[in-house]
Amino acid sequence: MSSLLRLSRLIDWINERVGRAVMWLVLVAVVISAGNALVRKLFNTSSNALLEIQWYLFAAIFMLAAGYTFLRNEHVRIDILTSRLSPRGQNVVDIVGILFFLLPMAGLILWLSWPIVMTSLASGEMSQNSGGLIRWPVKMMLPLGLGLLVLQAFSELVKRIAFLAGHGPDPLQKKSSGAATADLVAAIKAQREGRVEP
Amino acid sequence: MTEFVVANMAPLMFASMILFLLFGFPVAFALAANGILFGLVGIELGLLHGALFQALPERIFGIMANDTLLAVPFFTFMGLILERSGMAEDLLDTIGQLFGPIRGGLAFAVIFVGALLAATTGVVAASVISMGLISLPIMMRYGYDHRLATGVIAASGTLAQIIPPSLVLIVMADQLGRSVGDMYQGALVPGLVLTGLYVVYVAVVAIFRPSLAPAMPPEARTLREPDGASGLRSLALLTVVAGAGAWLFASQIYRADAPRDEVVVVSAMAGIGIAFVAAMVNRIFGIGLLSRMAERVTFVLIPPLGLIFLVLGTIFIGVATPTEGGAMGALGAVLMALARRRLSLPLLRQAMDSTTKLSCFVVFILIGSSVFGLTFRGVNGDLWVEHLMTSLPGGQTGFLVAVNLLVFVLAFFLDYFELAFIIVPLLAPVADKLGIDLIWFGVLLAVNMQTSFLHPPFGFALFFLRSVASEKVKTASIYWGAVPFVIIQLVMVGLIIAFPGLVSYGDAGAKPAQQQELDLEQLLQGGGGAAAAGDSNADLMRKLQGD
Repeated sequence: MSSLLRLSRLIDWINERVGRAVMWLVLVAVVISAGNALVRKLFNTSSNALLEIQWYLFAAIFMLAAGYTFLRNEHVRIDILTSRLSPRGQNVVDIVGILFFLLPMAGLILWLSWPIVMTSLASGEMSQNSGGLIRWPVKMMLPLGLGLLVLQAFSELVKRIAFLAGHGPDPLQKKSSGAATADLVAAIKAQREGRVEP
Repeated sequence: MTEFVVANMAPLMFASMILFLLFGFPVAFALAANGILFGLVGIELGLLHGALFQALPERIFGIMANDTLLAVPFFTFMGLILERSGMAEDLLDTIGQLFGPIRGGLAFAVIFVGALLAATTGVVAASVISMGLISLPIMMRYGYDHRLATGVIAASGTLAQIIPPSLVLIVMADQLGRSVGDMYQGALVPGLVLTGLYVVYVAVVAIFRPSLAPAMPPEARTLREPDGASGLRSLALLTVVAGAGAWLFASQIYRADAPRDEVVVVSAMAGIGIAFVAAMVNRIFGIGLLSRMAERVTFVLIPPLGLIFLVLGTIFIGVATPTEGGAMGALGAVLMALARRRLSLPLLRQAMDSTTKLSCFVVFILIGSSVFGLTFRGVNGDLWVEHLMTSLPGGQTGFLVAVNLLVFVLAFFLDYFELAFIIVPLLAPVADKLGIDLIWFGVLLAVNMQTSFLHPPFGFALFFLRSVASEKVKTASIYWGAVPFVIIQLVMVGLIIAFPGLVSYGDAGAKPAQQQELDLEQLLQGGGGAAAAGDSNADLMRKLQGD
């Protein structure tokens, strides 16, 4: 069990790193996209490469962050029924979900997409647009992101089983939802206390 | 048994999807698992082709290459930066002072600021939290009824859902295969009418039950001249001057052949510019040209109005696609936060982090629903839904009533992303077949879904408000306070059905979204679009009246 938990911590660390790196792409995409509009208006030119890189970045953001989002338990759930379960019950729900919902989906798509990505890589498939980008890097995001998701699913599975077996804390306890709200509330209060009323 | 399953695959699949969702595991994976399970059963029973799932990777590549959805992270990021920029707080303080001394004034200020915030960003939580922290204590201090105060705050916060640029309109446009720009234009008037209905409601309360919404005593207005004058005359004068300047600019200076949208946007900017210059001159030289109130109001209104121009203005006049409009707004919000020295590295990180996670879960729900949809269509689920919906009595009207009831009820359990990705793709083809304009349909559903933020027990706006309201406000007051506003929203749904012309947009043609995106250039030159829209609305009206 302890070696599995070590592996789980390693996976968590990897996805945490990936998530923290990927989020900067949001800013990059914002700048490129706003730049595209400005350049088109001001200089009346546009570049297909710069238009395509926008959605390459978007694809990278949501695919590569799949594992990270799962780590942070931010994939939305409808928990009107299960939120009433005991912590043990909620962990059992997640174990069943990972084994029968998440892994089959991720596995199936991973398995189906791999040959397509390899074909694209071998043939050097290019965008149909003139001056467009080569396709395989963006297609690669799909198996790569699903791979990270499967890894994270494995890690979450280990943590939940460890909890049920009494070897670890409740992995669902660290729920971060509401933290952002609390941060915002604190920030607004701090701002208001820091200033003199007009 | 097998025959029963074969004959009822679609209803069985739909019912089991609901069970899968209620299981409490993330929606994206539950939807996909449901699709895969029934796909395998269908293949086993010989109903579906063995190669059914081969289409999946291409579908997901299609989602990746979707420019429309790219607007989701941009507008989210913009909203997250703005909520920390202090813009909302400054607006609430100043506009509250301005309107406060009339009956119901604090509530009017909340509605006004709510609508302004809604037009700059699409995030409900931020508006509700700011208003709950700033306006609610003031309203309580001056004796507002708790129900009215909390209701008006929660409802004004949800305006972000319907007034463009809102996230729900983006995903709706995507799922209906229409352009986001048209969806935004279509939602603009209903959003403003809804805001107006809130104002009317508060006014009626203030007139007939003044004790529920008392005026702030005049001495509570601290923003006044050294000699104690309110300085309102100066503000009125500035408004008139700026308005006249804008009108002159539109009629005399700006080129006459420009389309109306563009003239409106550009001359509004000219008017704002005049007010800004006056306020700047006044501040720098201290010449007492303007009262303190006038100067302050100008300075707090410039950031939101500037952002509205940057986002909606550029989209409506065709300089930017909606996606690029989102990016410009995000960049503008970052620059504004920098200028106000409110942007720090941790804040930037937090905004990017939340944006990344939100984009990821939204797209994964879409991926899950495409897996579901692939199988569901495979077992002729689309035909089943169509048959179910077209066999309702009353034709179009029957369909609309049923759909709105369905969405209203489902909104108690599902949030708008789930509704848009699961329900809308099932209903859109039927609506299209019945001859319903899909932009109109999308706006109608968006107004309806807005109620999901306001009704117990899961209304997010109520939840956020509860988390920031003082202990003295009872939870029951928050719940009951929302009721009149839910009713107003339903009235709005009825109004849109009764007066389809409320939803009007530039190019009423039924062109596919991608083609419309390419047609931006034409849109720039096309003043004729408005007439066409009028025609199609007349058509729709005739159809709705059971022609």
